Amino acid sequence: MDKVLVVDKISKEYPGRFAVKEASFEVTKGSIHGFLGPNGAGKSTTMRMIAGLIPATSGSIHLFGEKIDPLNLSYKNKIGLLPENPPLYLDMTVENYLELIARFHKVKTVKDNVNKVLEGLSLTEVRKRLIGNLSKGYKQRVGLGQAIIYDAPFLILDEPTNGLDPQSVVELRDYIKKLAEEKTILFSSHILPEVELLCDQITIIHQGKVRATGNLQEIHKKFKQGVCVKIGLAVGEKLPDLSSFGKYEITHHHSLAIEEQFTISFQSERDMRPDLSKYLVSSGLTLMTMQNESPELEDIFLHVTETKK
Amino acid sequence: MIFTVWKKEVHSYFSSPLAYVMIGLFSLISGVIFFNLLVSYTDGIQAIPQNYATQISFVEEVVLRLYANVNFLFLFFIPLITMKLFSEEKRQDTLDLYWLAPMREWQVVVSKGLAALTLVACMLLMTGIYPLIIWGIGIREVTLLASSYLALLLNASAYISMGLFCSSLSNNQIIAALGSILGIMFLWMITWGGHLNSNFIVAEIFTYLGISSHFERLMRGLIGTQDIIYYLTFVSFFGLLTVKSLGRRNW
Repeated sequence: MDKVLVVDKISKEYPGRFAVKEASFEVTKGSIHGFLGPNGAGKSTTMRMIAGLIPATSGSIHLFGEKIDPLNLSYKNKIGLLPENPPLYLDMTVENYLELIARFHKVKTVKDNVNKVLEGLSLTEVRKRLIGNLSKGYKQRVGLGQAIIYDAPFLILDEPTNGLDPQSVVELRDYIKKLAEEKTILFSSHILPEVELLCDQITIIHQGKVRATGNLQEIHKKFKQGVCVKIGLAVGEKLPDLSSFGKYEITHHHSLAIEEQFTISFQSERDMRPDLSKYLVSSGLTLMTMQNESPELEDIFLHVTETKK
Repeated sequence: MIFTVWKKEVHSYFSSPLAYVMIGLFSLISGVIFFNLLVSYTDGIQAIPQNYATQISFVEEVVLRLYANVNFLFLFFIPLITMKLFSEEKRQDTLDLYWLAPMREWQVVVSKGLAALTLVACMLLMTGIYPLIIWGIGIREVTLLASSYLALLLNASAYISMGLFCSSLSNNQIIAALGSILGIMFLWMITWGGHLNSNFIVAEIFTYLGISSHFERLMRGLIGTQDIIYYLTFVSFFGLLTVKSLGRRNW
């Protein structure tokens, strides 16, 4: 697979602390690469280094084989960045703003690009309105418009759906998926199911260091330890001792109106369902539901960011 | 690229009430000053014997004083014009838009400086009525009037370059404006320091470094190479400092 972005041991040091320390990962062409990490993990710093807004203290970043250097301008039209707080001129109309950004990037077909973006992001009806008067959802879309107006083949989207209403989130996700048909996207989000939904590859960063990177399925496989079974018992029933099945842990327990839900992780690799169901029924319990669970990204994320402190 | 950013800045000035308020206020105050100078001049002429009246120069008493006062007004108006140029963009995180584009810091600095100078030129344009009145009175000093405007524009360029630098240092517009006002006052004070110093060499250095001596010479039509070099050096120096200040993100 073609590597669009190669981040090789980059560090960013501020007096007395490292914001990012020897982070390495790769993004392949045509993928949506999820970039995860808790607040202050170094995500935005890394993204700003990739966009060439700040230089790395050490290490190198190559985009389409070209080294990223803030003093070099040749790669600028190849990267589109939507920061967490979209950089917007609130006193400009949506149309004028997008035109301005297109001109900043020396786009030759300014009007065509603006019309295409306005249509794609459903901004046509607000094209003549001042950005300062728009809702947060529209502002976020204008911010995304800014990142794509000059048709950059590589996009960096820093929490693009943050703070949007559910309908806007769905619309924006669909648009990002559509964008990924032509572009490569580095996408950061706090909403882990969203990352699972959109991304084929992920990188998890914590305390400035890359903790896991690669294909989502490979990471799932890597962090899968034993098996996880989700069972539902009748309301009020308690789970008996399961030590005869080896070492286990109850990771979740929810008392719902219709059943008691337990998620149990076993160290064993074999399918526990046949023996476990027989055991629970023979113990006089009412087994309502039972299914195997794969570890969720959230579990992996928590595992990676908690255990390696 | 410079034209694109310049156009955006000029649009930003004129799409808010700021530019119109500034131009209006500037015209009003300079008009009042001009009127007072005319009244003082005619009162002075009438108060002294006819033989001595010709010795009171209209150019000295009205024209040069008017433009010296206009220069004084710059002390407050130019910091108000330059304060937002970088501070506001820093506060709104929009500076990144320039650095994401294939654009150099100096291009942004030059564009913003030219945009501020455009607004100052618009303000000065409104004072264009005074030379017409002066012409109507019968004072046909074209060179003097032209050099006075040149002196004002050069002074404005120097103040703008200083204002841009102050604006690049802080994301607080008030601090940027105060910094510019203090900077301009300091420039004037250097010349006063030259006048007060008894050591000839020190006095000459101070006088050269201060902006007032150059402004006064230019205003009188004495356009010297050293004055032009002074303004070019001054603007380039602060322009370079602003570029370096913006480049701090690379440190």
